Amino acid sequence: MSTVRIPPLDLDHCAQEPIRIPGGIQPHGALLVVDPKTLKILQASSNAAEIVGPGATAGNALDLASSPAFAADVRQWLESADATYLRTATIGDRHIQVLAHRAPQGAIVEFEEPPRTEGETIEALYPRIAHFMEEVQNLPDVSDVCAVAAREFRRITCFNRVLIYRFDPDWNGEVIAEDGDGVLPSYLGLRFPASDIPAQARELYRMNSLRIIPDANYQLVPLQPALSPVDGKPLDMSCAALRSVSPVHLEYMRNMGTLASMSVSILVDGRLWGLASCHNADPHRLNAQSRSVCDLLGKVLSHQISARDRTAYSARRIELKQVEGELLAHLATSESLQEGLRDSPRLWLALTDATGAAVVHDSQTFLVGETPPIERIADLTRRLQRHIEQDHFVTDSLERDWPEFRDIAPQASGLLAISISQIHASYILWFRAEVTRTVEWAGDPRKPVEPGTNRLHPRASFSIWREQVRGRSQPWGRAEIDGAHEFRNAMVNIVLRRAEERAELTGQLQRSNRELESFSYSVSHDLRAPFRHIVGYTQLLRDSETALSEKSQHYLDSIVEAAATAGQLVDDLLSFSHLGRTSLSFSSVDMNKLFQEVRRSLEPDYRDRQVEWQVSKLPPTWGDAALLRQALINLVSNALKYTRNRAPAIITIQGEEGAKETTYEVRDNGVGFDMTYVHKLFGVFQRLHRIEDFEGTGIGLALTKRIVERHGGWIKAHGVVDQGAAFSFVLPKRGEGSSNG
Amino acid sequence: MADLRPILLVEDNPKDIELTLAALAKCQLANEIVVVRDGADALDYLYLRNAHAARGPGDPAVVLLDLKLPKVDGLEVLERIKSDSERRQIPVVMLTSSREESDLVRSYELGVNAFVVKPVDFNAFFEAIQDLGMFWGVLNEPPPRIPNGR
Repeated sequence: MSTVRIPPLDLDHCAQEPIRIPGGIQPHGALLVVDPKTLKILQASSNAAEIVGPGATAGNALDLASSPAFAADVRQWLESADATYLRTATIGDRHIQVLAHRAPQGAIVEFEEPPRTEGETIEALYPRIAHFMEEVQNLPDVSDVCAVAAREFRRITCFNRVLIYRFDPDWNGEVIAEDGDGVLPSYLGLRFPASDIPAQARELYRMNSLRIIPDANYQLVPLQPALSPVDGKPLDMSCAALRSVSPVHLEYMRNMGTLASMSVSILVDGRLWGLASCHNADPHRLNAQSRSVCDLLGKVLSHQISARDRTAYSARRIELKQVEGELLAHLATSESLQEGLRDSPRLWLALTDATGAAVVHDSQTFLVGETPPIERIADLTRRLQRHIEQDHFVTDSLERDWPEFRDIAPQASGLLAISISQIHASYILWFRAEVTRTVEWAGDPRKPVEPGTNRLHPRASFSIWREQVRGRSQPWGRAEIDGAHEFRNAMVNIVLRRAEERAELTGQLQRSNRELESFSYSVSHDLRAPFRHIVGYTQLLRDSETALSEKSQHYLDSIVEAAATAGQLVDDLLSFSHLGRTSLSFSSVDMNKLFQEVRRSLEPDYRDRQVEWQVSKLPPTWGDAALLRQALINLVSNALKYTRNRAPAIITIQGEEGAKETTYEVRDNGVGFDMTYVHKLFGVFQRLHRIEDFEGTGIGLALTKRIVERHGGWIKAHGVVDQGAAFSFVLPKRGEGSSNG
Repeated sequence: MADLRPILLVEDNPKDIELTLAALAKCQLANEIVVVRDGADALDYLYLRNAHAARGPGDPAVVLLDLKLPKVDGLEVLERIKSDSERRQIPVVMLTSSREESDLVRSYELGVNAFVVKPVDFNAFFEAIQDLGMFWGVLNEPPPRIPNGR
């Protein structure tokens, strides 16, 4: 026993053997190829004269070779619609079993003398089938059903051992049930490599459900003539029961210590699901009745398996459907797809029985459970985008399919990916972790080449050979794959509905935006007027009443002041809301020039003060010049305002260019602020100072923040009470940021 | 000074009318101030129609035009004046509280002569009105026109 990794097997030579045209038959019967119209014998096995009758040679008529009655019966069959012909014919004084079928090169008629030891009669055999069906009725598990079937096959055939094989998706066979009398070794649980039964042999198994080799040491009986007179080619014996088998297969049988074998195909939904494989240590024949019953048993077994598969599939689907329903309910009520998924990781993984999952949507990735790192998921999505032909991709060995992802095998040997958008790279990915397991092979599956020759030989030893299988996950079940598909469709609907909702919302927003626009227009026009009137009339009153007391004068002043402030508030609020609506017009902006303009425009504010400007060269930026000017005015005028009682006021302006963004800073040595309130600094109408100390409506910084953000940048502030404040804003470079304008 | 042409004030808000008149009175203009309350009335005055059919001939020295007016709004009045070769020369001052950019741009496109955002600070407003009144009513000579019977 060894524990090693198998290198890839390359035994396709075997698959090229001409098994359909072996040129001869096994010696336990005879074969005639008959012209379906004239009933003239076209080809005959060289033993035909011996088994059928002296006239059974090529060129003779069938009635002369056998008996007129038999020939008439065959003619009748050929004129009927029946695909095959199965009779016990009486030719001369002998009973011979005859099996016939149509083939392109003529009607193939096979003759077999019944074995000397008669088996059970057909009457005795059929109750067994009935009993079998009853017995397996209540067995839920396929392997239990197969165990019963193995026992029945052995009872009917009296072979030493019966194996029930199941093929995996790679066509390796696993022995899932066995019945034997101890003469031959047990192979239960062992695997046989796909190369043991090459593709063309599997195809024959699918077409022809029962094959028998009574003696592996037989001598091939050739056909005469060797080539069909119809087309000059060797006879295609795909469906012939007596077809001689490949010498490699006979050697395989001898190596396995089985001189007789019979195999019955198990087909589920038209696909070769497995085989019932019967073996005997010594040569062993089986009469035609027993073979028919085995054939029937094989069909019953197929149906039983298929019914159980369906039941298991349905049960699993119902189970998964519940999970799906729960998950969708969750998704439908959550804010976003990602959030809905993130909040229900259990359901999310249960949906496909995965160990990890990822959603890649709107260029965001969300992870659940154990997954590869996010950047590898990005690589995986790119790969999927190139190669996903249908809307899904399934594997239980990612590294086998795409070796470049070997590094993520521990978390993602299994991948079930579904695409949720036709346009964008949006995927749902489920991962299954690597499951390292030991597979027990019936012998080292690598077929050795005989030293000194190029001829292939099947392996000589069938003793257990262990292989450590890596890079594999538990395979995905059909129920899980189909469930994922249904889930995908539901998701696509949700995504679509969300898109519709978003469009609807956008429409609503546009309408309300228009309303807001006309509202602000009215505010602008109508709300300012009364304030203006208050101020105006107060003015007029003061002019007309020249003898007002000082107190009355003060009242009038206060009225004017209050109305003026209210008017200013309206103006500021308008310009703030205006900023949200106007679209930005981008261009390259010379910040040095802009700052000079700003300083000039603020000149009246600091004309009589001592201000020390420390300005370094500012890098240019990409933005809306008018708005940036406004932002800079706000920051600089704040700096001037809050340094009012400093002599000198020191205002520093500097800029720094980064790879993706440019940062500007306005710093002063003014009264500063308490960092506790920094979060309030940029709010609308937020003030950190008393109005008597520093005038203003509290909109400047909110406006500045909005301007910066509309450029795709951000602003931050730092202050120390009585030591000054610093405001820095960052603007993305051209092409780096996104403008909402 | 007998041939001083009138100033046409187009304004619907009575308080604004009163305050504007007070401001104009302060600068002691000799011009007559004609007040109309909506755009249609303003056009009637300019084109001597309906209620104004019997007024004496001649264009006003200046039109002080509010932007937002009943019936026909200020921009429409402006457009009519500026697209009429006979009256294009009449100076028009848009007098409004709107700071909406689109209004501004549109007014200038139509060939407005001046645009005054009525400030809340009434002193400033007085000054603005006074400047306008002095400029258009007194200092600014109208372009020479063919005498029309006077």
